[in-house]
Amino acid sequence: MSTMSSTLSDKLDRIFRLQDLDIMLTEAQDPERKREEEEMGFRMGTIEKLTAARSRLLSQIDPRDLRLYERIAKRHKHAIVPVEDRTCLGCYMALPTSAVSLRTEPEQLLTCENCGRILYWLE
Amino acid sequence: MTDSSQFLKYFDPRLFSAELRAKTKDGALKEMVELVAKGDGVRDKALLFEMLSRREQLGSTGIGNGVAIPHGRSLAVVDTKVVFARSTKGIPFESIDDQPAHLFFLIVAPPQDKRNEYLPLLGKIAELVQEKSARDALMAVEDWSGLRSVVSEALGEK
Repeated sequence: MSTMSSTLSDKLDRIFRLQDLDIMLTEAQDPERKREEEEMGFRMGTIEKLTAARSRLLSQIDPRDLRLYERIAKRHKHAIVPVEDRTCLGCYMALPTSAVSLRTEPEQLLTCENCGRILYWLE
Repeated sequence: MTDSSQFLKYFDPRLFSAELRAKTKDGALKEMVELVAKGDGVRDKALLFEMLSRREQLGSTGIGNGVAIPHGRSLAVVDTKVVFARSTKGIPFESIDDQPAHLFFLIVAPPQDKRNEYLPLLGKIAELVQEKSARDALMAVEDWSGLRSVVSEALGEK
């Protein structure tokens, strides 16, 4: 598999993996969250393996997609959000019909015109 | 989240295994991911397994006394889900007490947790298995209805 394949599913797959990992890293570095998990009995170690995995993953992501993701992630807790009933679940604005028709566009990640987050469809 | 119906809404009869076949930690996680996928709203099993494996790299979710609660948030799932699974022989899980895990609750949730369900659910399950009587009852569960009964009783509603 080419690491820079441009199919939408490949692009989304890599960006999804990045967001999953970033959420885990954020929670692992949040002192209150860490304390809560430790009080429940969970072991919360160091994040070195996760940061190494993130570095490896970054090298597999198209630089344009990565720039887009990082730009959004600076502004929003979740850069990638679902669409449900034609509504962006990041900002809860309805998407225009034209955006919905771009859903299967193979070359680019689709973003919300209102909030800019990367979109994926639940259905 | 105090009553058992609230608690049990995250469970599903399809997400239940009275006896895991796996003998390793990775095998157990994979088998439970397959169980999650039997329910609705799982977009990507590989992504889910990757997230759970990475959470284990942060520290084992084997909390001792034969219990493991693998958990995490992932875009791979649409809704919060709980798998209950058991291994009579036990599975090495790098648990905090170095003992094999017999009882497994796997909890997965989407990143956007609109109703703030995930952490209270995780806490409730961790609290439930602190009681030896609950763990013993869970080890004796034979089917889905048995699990429901044990959970209801543990929550003081029977």
